[in-house]
Amino acid sequence: MSLRSQLLKGILEGCILSVISRQSVYGYELSLKLHDYGLSVSEGSIYPVLLRLQKEKWIQGEMKPSPSGPNRKYYELTEQGEAALAEFKSNWEGIKKPVDALLEEER
Amino acid sequence: MSAEELVELNNQKRDMLNQVNVSYYEDMLVYIRLSYDKSDEESEEILMELLDHLLEAQAAGKTAEEVFGNHPKHYADEICGELPKMVTKKRTLYILMSLFYFVGVSAAVYGLFDLIRYYLFNVGDDVLTINSGTAVVNTMLSLPIAFFFINGLIRYLRWSCFKQISKVLESVIFGLHGAVSFSVFFVLIYFMPTFGPSIDVPIYVTFLLGMALCLLGYLTLKAISK
Repeated sequence: MSLRSQLLKGILEGCILSVISRQSVYGYELSLKLHDYGLSVSEGSIYPVLLRLQKEKWIQGEMKPSPSGPNRKYYELTEQGEAALAEFKSNWEGIKKPVDALLEEER
Repeated sequence: MSAEELVELNNQKRDMLNQVNVSYYEDMLVYIRLSYDKSDEESEEILMELLDHLLEAQAAGKTAEEVFGNHPKHYADEICGELPKMVTKKRTLYILMSLFYFVGVSAAVYGLFDLIRYYLFNVGDDVLTINSGTAVVNTMLSLPIAFFFINGLIRYLRWSCFKQISKVLESVIFGLHGAVSFSVFFVLIYFMPTFGPSIDVPIYVTFLLGMALCLLGYLTLKAISK
């Protein structure tokens, strides 16, 4: 896998964890929320990530009735997931400032 | 929800997809279901999520290609890559079930053939002489051969999922596959020398034994889906 897609995947994972930490969501809802924040990932790309996060036991899904009627699989964060999100946040903070500063200087 | 219930629900919901989306989705469905070493509950759960998503997207005027991208096989591979493997116990039961069914059906068909031949056409004998050595070696060799042919078939089906293959070509492929596998079994049984101590059994015994093995296979299947 290329560095670029590795990087994007890691960031998408972090964003998904962050959305789920605020409220439990189902797949379609999640893709809408990411889209609302301006993250233009293809909608389908969240599902392989959701599977991976479940395998890591960072999130867990539960079938619940949705407001619109049918049962949906709602995801919520586990304790390990909270820890993973905290780690992502500190990694992101550590990388955001230096990269921003570097790119600022270039202009 | 169990895998069976999800399959049933999936069949109902799929009717709501339009023609373009259903063909895209069903290719993916067959492909993911044919990766048979993956946990079936998890496979069915993700298939249901993808279907739910597609239905909502369709209502919003989007196509499957816009949702899952224009490389359905690549996308399905990504999903399969993340699916957890089937647990060992379940896998063992599946293998046991296939063994029961394979040996059971072979014995029952063989027995039925002997019974019809003897009682309807008065040909042959009502006693079958089994050469124990030959029977054991034949069975031991048949199993890997059967596995080889079935595995080949599944591989072909997965490979053909996202391709447009003409019905004619497909029939030729299946016909050839059938003919070749039949010939291999025929050659094996016809040319295997007889050896080992022989036992005489009434011909209905083969048939009954086969049916009993099929029943065992059926019971194993029941135990798996519990």
